[in-house]
Amino acid sequence: MQPSDATSETLLSPYLGFGLGLRTPHYEQVLQEQPDVDWFEVLSENYMVAGGKPRYYLEAIGERYPLVMHGVSMSIGSTDPLNMEYLRSLKALANAVNPRWISDHICWTSIHGVNSHDLLPLPYTWETVRHVAERVKQVQDFLGRRILLENVSSYLSYRNSEMNEWEFLNAVCDEADCLILLDVNNIYVSARNHGFDPLDYLNVVNPLRVQQIHLAGHSDYGDYVIDTHDHDVPDAVWDLYRETLKRLGPVSSMIERDGNIPTFDELYNELGQARTIADDVLGIDAIPASKRHVFGAAQQAVQEVARV
Amino acid sequence: MSELERLQDTMMRYLLQPDADNEADCLQWVDDQHGLAAPQRLHIYANAYKARLREVIDTDHEMLGLYLGDELFEQMVSGYLAAYQSPYTSLRQYCDRLPEFLRQDSFFSQYPILSDLAGFERRLFDAFDAAESDRVPVNALEGIAANHWPILKVRFHPSVQLCQFQSNAVESWQALKHNQEPPAPRLGESRYWLLWRNQERVTEFSSLQYWQYRLMAGFLNGDDLSQQCELLLDTFDENETPGQVFAALQAWLEMGIISHFS
Ligand SMILES: [Fe+2]
Repeated sequence: MQPSDATSETLLSPYLGFGLGLRTPHYEQVLQEQPDVDWFEVLSENYMVAGGKPRYYLEAIGERYPLVMHGVSMSIGSTDPLNMEYLRSLKALANAVNPRWISDHICWTSIHGVNSHDLLPLPYTWETVRHVAERVKQVQDFLGRRILLENVSSYLSYRNSEMNEWEFLNAVCDEADCLILLDVNNIYVSARNHGFDPLDYLNVVNPLRVQQIHLAGHSDYGDYVIDTHDHDVPDAVWDLYRETLKRLGPVSSMIERDGNIPTFDELYNELGQARTIADDVLGIDAIPASKRHVFGAAQQAVQEVARV
Repeated sequence: MSELERLQDTMMRYLLQPDADNEADCLQWVDDQHGLAAPQRLHIYANAYKARLREVIDTDHEMLGLYLGDELFEQMVSGYLAAYQSPYTSLRQYCDRLPEFLRQDSFFSQYPILSDLAGFERRLFDAFDAAESDRVPVNALEGIAANHWPILKVRFHPSVQLCQFQSNAVESWQALKHNQEPPAPRLGESRYWLLWRNQERVTEFSSLQYWQYRLMAGFLNGDDLSQQCELLLDTFDENETPGQVFAALQAWLEMGIISHFS
């Protein structure tokens, strides 16, 4: 099911530019120095608390930067009923944060009420496509907005799979009419672990649905690669980012660092590398950060025209 | 059970208990691929499950970990992981039942200070991210009419936590926090502590005398001032009591932990 051009124009939110994952050790610096970062991604679960420092900084930084929310516990692929208590908290947080969008992962994390706290792979079957898409629709109805699903790193595949991961991702997102958060590092990690060509993934993933990109590092053990998100973005992932932008055009991109958190300045410099690559591939990064929102506004105008 | 549910059920049983039987069940689902063998692929997930939860315990209970030392810490991690799965969507809650585990486990229950240490660290978290609320200004007592004093009720800031321990857990926690040798465990004598988050959103704690603890507990329970003063007559005489209570209220105002008088 390929959406028509007119529909596709209305799918994506305005381009945000280059962002970073907001991390606790950087709260104070971000607030004080207001660095030239276009937007921040916040981890939803960290702010599903009543108050204190997390909520204080979230609110203060949200007044100064566009925010997007990223979660890990929706367990969209589980065969348990949807966790409505979780979704209510997520919606309440979204009402407070007013994020540009909300994302989680195309995976399962819990079954029979037990949470593995891991992003476990799904079998790529048509049964799973229908199951996940149905649940995404329910979540989107409940939240009143489209969500983004992120591809996860995986270390095994199932015997009963009927298609490739990228075909599965497209099928779920088309069926559910949801969007994609493409983690370029996760594509690289899974490609190494399963022996596929990452370009096969990039050539097929539906460019009309990719709203956001994650860039991250991993741990390479030779025979296999573990997605640790605790290293700098390596050259192989930068190369793949370049290939991604060639195929998708401008997509809001950010560095996602989950462990071994460096100084804010180091992450900021790393983000500069993403800007340089985007500039090189697309030429849009020549637009200064302050004007890049104008680009977003122009894109929105195009969308509004398309809606009419 | 659908095919997907059977797969997820099998995988979860393996993650929770990665023994040979559960691994064999999983291998029926897992593809043989080039490179890494299927069992090793499964081990990556089993290791990640354990490592992630272990790290949560390590990070959230740093002083308890130091108190235990590496060997006993690993024993506690293995025991807790085996005893408690996570029903939570956030890892913030995963260690909520650690004090209970340490109180009930046949080995660790021999050392009651451990449960108190874990409990104290849990309460620090509760104070850290409790809801925000108004704080009554320090001069608020001046505005209370004389006839209102007997029926005065106090609502504390939501971060306020009262603790009662039967050990010198908090003193040990403080020593470890300052890289000092903790004192020898002392048991059997009740100790009372107040934890709260101040205006700068920093968590603080202070020890309480028994009467102060009772006074706060009474207000938390919704009792009014006249009921409280009556209760304190076994500690102070009739003339002393109002002054002591007034001083306590003034101290709480200065700490910024009263959110409302009624
Ligand atoms: Fe990611």
